[in-house]
Amino acid sequence: MKRFVAVAVASLLALAACGESSSPAVPGASPQQSEALAKAPVADAAEILPGSTMEKIRQRGELIVGGSLDAPLLSQQNPVSGEVEGFDAEMGKALATYILGEPKVKIVNSASETREALLANGTVDVVFQTYTITEERAKQVAFAGPYYTSGLTIAVKKGTTGIAKPEDLNGKKVLAGANTPAIPAIKKLAPQAEILTFGSDPECIQALKQDRGVAYVQDETILIADAKKDPSIEIVTKPFTEDPYGIGLKHGDDQFKKFVNDWLKKIQDAGVWQGIWKNSIGTVVTGEAPQPPGIGSVPGS
Amino acid sequence: MPVLFEHLPELWQGLIVTVQLTAASFAGAAVLGVLVCALRVSPVGVLRAIGTAYVETFQNLPLLVLLVLAFFGLPEIGLQAPPLATAIIVIAVYEAAYIAEALRSGVNSVSKGQGEAARAIGLTFGQSLRHVILPQALRTVVQPLGNIFIATAMNTALAAAVGVVDLTAAAHRVNLVEAQPIPIFVGAGVAYALIASVAGFVTGRLERRLVILR
Repeated sequence: MKRFVAVAVASLLALAACGESSSPAVPGASPQQSEALAKAPVADAAEILPGSTMEKIRQRGELIVGGSLDAPLLSQQNPVSGEVEGFDAEMGKALATYILGEPKVKIVNSASETREALLANGTVDVVFQTYTITEERAKQVAFAGPYYTSGLTIAVKKGTTGIAKPEDLNGKKVLAGANTPAIPAIKKLAPQAEILTFGSDPECIQALKQDRGVAYVQDETILIADAKKDPSIEIVTKPFTEDPYGIGLKHGDDQFKKFVNDWLKKIQDAGVWQGIWKNSIGTVVTGEAPQPPGIGSVPGS
Repeated sequence: MPVLFEHLPELWQGLIVTVQLTAASFAGAAVLGVLVCALRVSPVGVLRAIGTAYVETFQNLPLLVLLVLAFFGLPEIGLQAPPLATAIIVIAVYEAAYIAEALRSGVNSVSKGQGEAARAIGLTFGQSLRHVILPQALRTVVQPLGNIFIATAMNTALAAAVGVVDLTAAAHRVNLVEAQPIPIFVGAGVAYALIASVAGFVTGRLERRLVILR
C-alpha cells in the first residue's frame, strides 16, 4: 500500500512537472510518456545502502545522465518543449524515479570520446547513450544490462540493385554516421568499401539522396524512422549485427551495478520497459515490444 | 600508448589528408588573397566594393557553415564535387579573406611615396602593384601569413563534417573502437603541434631573411 501511494505521488508530480514545462498551445507527447513512467517502481529504503552511489544521488536530488540530445527515437531534445524524448531518455527518467521517487534527471550531453572520462571522474552517474557493450570498453567502465539489443541494417535509394547483404558493399561508397558502430562493422564485413561519414542522420540521408554513396548503414530503428518519413529510401536487409546496449557505470562500482541490474529486472517484470519501448521505438516499429535481452548475457556486462 | 602504434596506418593516412588539405587550400587561398587584396586597394570604386564585400562575407561566416552549405547545398543547383575537393575549395575561399586583409595591412605599410614614384615613372596600376608595392608589402607580412597558415591547418579539422577523413576524423574512428580518448587525441594533438611548429620555424627564418628594417 505504501509503495502504491509513493508511485501515485510520483506520477502526480511527474504529470504536474509536464504541465508546467509544455506550453498550452502545443500539446506535447510528454503526458503520454509519463503514463509508462507512472508505473515505474521506486526502490525500498533498504535498497539505498548507506555510503553507496545511490545514496549520494538521493542526497543530491537528481540523477545525472550522460546522453545524446540528437538521437531520434532514443534521446532527442524536443525543440518546442525542451524535453528530451526517446527510449534512452525515458529509461534514465525511470531510473531516477527508482532512486529518487521522481523523474528528476539532468542530461549531460556526452559523446563517444568523452563518456568513459565522464564516468571515471564522476561528472555523470550513468550513461544511457546507445552504449554498445564491448570487452574493450568493459575494461574502463562497468556495464549494467544489456537493456536493449539493436542491429545495423542497410538503406538505399529506391530502385538501387545489387545490394542485398553487407558483403555486397565491397568496392562501393558507403555512408555511415560519424562515431557509430557502423564504421567498424563495415570494415569487418566489407573491407573494400569506401566509408564516408557525416555527423548526423539527416546529413547521411541527404548525402544518400545526392548519390554521395550508394548505401547507408545505420541502426535499424533509425533507418525505419527515416524510411517512414522519406518514401525515396528503402531498407534492403534484416539487421546483420547484434549491438547490445548497456548502461554505463563507473568502473568497479559493483554495488551500484547490482542495484541497476535489479532495477532493470523489476521494470521489465512490471511492464515499464515495454511501455517505454511502445512510446518511443514502438512508434515506428510495428508489433509488440520485443523480449528484452537477458541481463549479463553478453561478455563485458 | 600501444593503442597509437596499433592504429598508426589509419592515423598516418589521416595526417596525410590533413597535410594535403592544408597545403592545397593555403596555396589556393594565397592566389585568391592576392587578387582580393588588389581589388581592395584598387583606384576603381566598384572593384574596391567587390573586394570589401568578399572579405566581409567570408570573414563573418563560420567555416563550418560554409562547408556544410557548399557540400549539401550546391548539389541542389547541380554543382557536385567530391568531399576532398569541396573542402579544399571552401577552405581556400574562406582563408583568402584573411590573407587579403593581412596583405592589405602590408600594402598600407608601404609609404605613399613609393606608389607615387612608381606612377611618376609611368608604371600602370598593375605594374606598380606587381613591381613596387607587393614585393615590399609581402615582406612585412610574413609573420601574419605564417599565422594564417597555422590557422588553416587547424581549420582543416572541420572538413570531417563533410566526410573527409582527416587526422581528427581518423582519431575519432580509432577511439570508437578502442575507447581510449586520452592517448589517441593527445597523439593527434602532437601531430598538429608539429605542423604548427614547422610552420612557425619556417616563417621565423623567412622573416629574418626578408624583412626590411625601416
